[in-house]
Amino acid sequence: MHDLYRVPQPAAKLGRRQFVQALSLVSGLCAAGLAWNPANAAPAIRRSEELSGTEFDLEISRIPVNFSGRTRFATAVNGTVPGPLLRLREGDTVTMRVKNSLDEMTSVHWHGIILPTDMDGVPGISFKGIAPGETFTYTFELKQAGTYWYHGHTLAEQTGLYGPIVIEPRSGPGTAADRDYTVMLSDWTDEAPLQVFLNLKKMSSYYNFAQPTAGDFVSDVSKLGWTAAVAKREMWNKARMNPTDLSDISAATYTYLCNGSNNTRNWTGIARKGERVLLRFIGAGTATLFDVRIPGLKLTVIGADGQPVEPVDVDEFRIAPGETYDVLVTIPDDRAYTIFAQSMDRSGSVRGTLAPTEGMAAEVPKRDPRAWLDPIDMMGAMGAMTGGEHDHGVVQKTEVAHHARTEYGPNVDMRVDSPRINLDDPGVGLRGTGRRALTYADLRTSGGAIDPRSPERDIELHLTGNMERFIWSIDGVKLNDSKPLHFKPNERLRIILVNDTMMTHPMHLHGMWSDLEDPGGNFQVRKHTISVQPAQRIAFRVTADAMGRWAFHCHLLYHMAAGMFREVVVA
Amino acid sequence: MNRTLIIGVAAISTFMAAPRAWAQTTQEQPAAHDQQTPPGMVMPDPQQPATASPRPSDTTMAGMDMGAMQSSKPAADARDTDAYSDGYVNSTLPGYEMADRLSVSKVLIDEAEFTTNNQGQGFSWSGAISNGPDNNKLWLRSQGLKQAGEQLDPESSVEAMWWHAQRPYWGSLVGVRQDIGPGAHRWLAAGIEGLAPYWFDIQLTGYVGDDGRLAARLKATYDVLLTNRLIATPQLETNVYSKSSNDRKLGAGLSNLELGLRIRYEVERKIAPYIGFVWERSFGKTADFRRAVGENPTERRFVAGFRIWW
Repeated sequence: MHDLYRVPQPAAKLGRRQFVQALSLVSGLCAAGLAWNPANAAPAIRRSEELSGTEFDLEISRIPVNFSGRTRFATAVNGTVPGPLLRLREGDTVTMRVKNSLDEMTSVHWHGIILPTDMDGVPGISFKGIAPGETFTYTFELKQAGTYWYHGHTLAEQTGLYGPIVIEPRSGPGTAADRDYTVMLSDWTDEAPLQVFLNLKKMSSYYNFAQPTAGDFVSDVSKLGWTAAVAKREMWNKARMNPTDLSDISAATYTYLCNGSNNTRNWTGIARKGERVLLRFIGAGTATLFDVRIPGLKLTVIGADGQPVEPVDVDEFRIAPGETYDVLVTIPDDRAYTIFAQSMDRSGSVRGTLAPTEGMAAEVPKRDPRAWLDPIDMMGAMGAMTGGEHDHGVVQKTEVAHHARTEYGPNVDMRVDSPRINLDDPGVGLRGTGRRALTYADLRTSGGAIDPRSPERDIELHLTGNMERFIWSIDGVKLNDSKPLHFKPNERLRIILVNDTMMTHPMHLHGMWSDLEDPGGNFQVRKHTISVQPAQRIAFRVTADAMGRWAFHCHLLYHMAAGMFREVVVA
Repeated sequence: MNRTLIIGVAAISTFMAAPRAWAQTTQEQPAAHDQQTPPGMVMPDPQQPATASPRPSDTTMAGMDMGAMQSSKPAADARDTDAYSDGYVNSTLPGYEMADRLSVSKVLIDEAEFTTNNQGQGFSWSGAISNGPDNNKLWLRSQGLKQAGEQLDPESSVEAMWWHAQRPYWGSLVGVRQDIGPGAHRWLAAGIEGLAPYWFDIQLTGYVGDDGRLAARLKATYDVLLTNRLIATPQLETNVYSKSSNDRKLGAGLSNLELGLRIRYEVERKIAPYIGFVWERSFGKTADFRRAVGENPTERRFVAGFRIWW
């Protein structure tokens, strides 16, 4: 059904063989390291395995890990973080026996996979979760191909409960790439996720150590003059909004990981001169959007959220929690290349390496300076008229936002009347860098929509919050105060999201595709997770062809927990 | 009560207006229209429905746009988000995501400090414990000062109150206050608490005492980030009373004014040692009471302590 790029089977096998070699090399190095320096006596890190077939036994358990310099417990799948790569085949019916060896309820959600609702793995909606000691058997048919992932649908996601999924197309392997790697970007904290949530509830700027200071003001006065320096702050301070509030959680507590490796361990994928390498990036951050580039390499984006897109060449892309991007690179030289992923708030980064052999490393770029949010991030189209630090190039178009009555309570600290609707803005921090960054305007699904019908009706929802009190909601209503969204069977409808906050929210609808529309209202790209920028309006089409109850939520884990979550009923 | 209220409202509007007025003098106003917005008022344009499209010619960034964005009145045709449910309700399976109902408890010891002044050494405290979900919390609040050779400061008290979120940045407080120390009284308390534009932390509380006295207390603080860990906090506190009280040695009218500046260093977010200076002046009859017991109506205290929360 989908015309996916092909990976020759021999190369995949070669990859596995090399993987085993790499594994023994790594364990050799680890052993050597232990022998030389007892201070490095960290818990042994096993590399994640690759599993394939149709039947899988997955065990969720607590294991000691050391990502930050301190030993902590992670929630692992089959003893590794990330869990094993599941290499599946389109059309197969797979069986996943998931054993819970924790002392708390857990779950596994198959992110982006079209499947029956009781196999979706959302506690309280699809099923009641997997009790301690229990084994839950998931069985579903794979109706799609591409890059996906699985993760826990509880706070345990923060502690390592995630892993990659690659579904090979039924029509067999192709010839597009010599090597095929999943690159899973995630964030790790030594703190318990509930503690992180409580810290944010008690002080929403808890992890933000880059707030504007008196010193910044003095430096702005000397650079811009008194009037401009005051004007730069006027809007934010008056509104009690923080222009540096790009990420709730920063490197103050996070260690960023690439395939479960920190900067020191430096995940390395073998790639030699002349080879075409397929990198399947997976945004597995719980609170982190990553900006990814590989200095020296052009990135050809050929897939988004598992679905093939018309190839587009970029220098850099932003990947939000929940999203995946398939990127093809051609290696020009036999040297190391750094995969550089910096957090959106520029507080930290993680690197991996593509190199002809293990143990090589290339220069790691400096993190970009932290940008302030722009007036367009607060006021949408109206913000463009006020200038701001960047020239936006185009006049921002707008649509009128229809606010809900429930948006006028204490849980909502701002509303945008004239949201911007253009998709060609890479977002705060990626504007005016001189690098070509991917935007949603670049993404076009090859072959168009599966369902060519036009939407019969609109559901408008506003993404709302109170940043100061760390309350997140939809239309001002938190999950447990809300009523579900009702979709009629097989109807084609349009969901309009207006972001009435200053943070970027990756919104994930379970069970059904989200067909993003361009600003003109035409189908553009099929996704499962759609990132909505501050003060932006986005519209996507849904075909309600999956009966039952589904989750629809912000994929920033702590926003979901705080209430930016709605249940969907298809009945 | 009326006088108390008027004084309180006057104090708070002065506070809110001052930075705005200051900003207006320091910022060029490109559109004459914006000058019609009264200082300190954040008001939506009455001519403009909430869903109006932008009018670039007569709006400015810091003027009415922001007012409309943070105003509190829905348009007449505002959406009903529940209408999408067609009567369905959320799932009732066990394991449902419930964190949005979480009750959060926070203990804030804002000031726990040793003081040294022109008359001796002492100890002072100020803090609050809050517990509850997002929009309704139980608040316990206390403050006090004991200096060598003096009685417990007459503003020393413990309060138990119900906090309710009223607006995005403001909550109301209703409860009781119990004075501590000699001549203690009980009070009914009602007030507001929150964050004014430009990040001023405000606590304004009115009281009705068991002896029929009315009182009001205003506290305002502002955090100046010298760095992201070194933070200077100017603070203002003032108390007014409707009648004099011999029990408590407090006079009618403006009783005292306390201005402080504390500089803390956040070793961790939750642990910050600080040093500071406090100037306190009592007025009118309160000053007379102080003089009568040989105390100076003006005090200057150096303070050193810890700000701790969890």
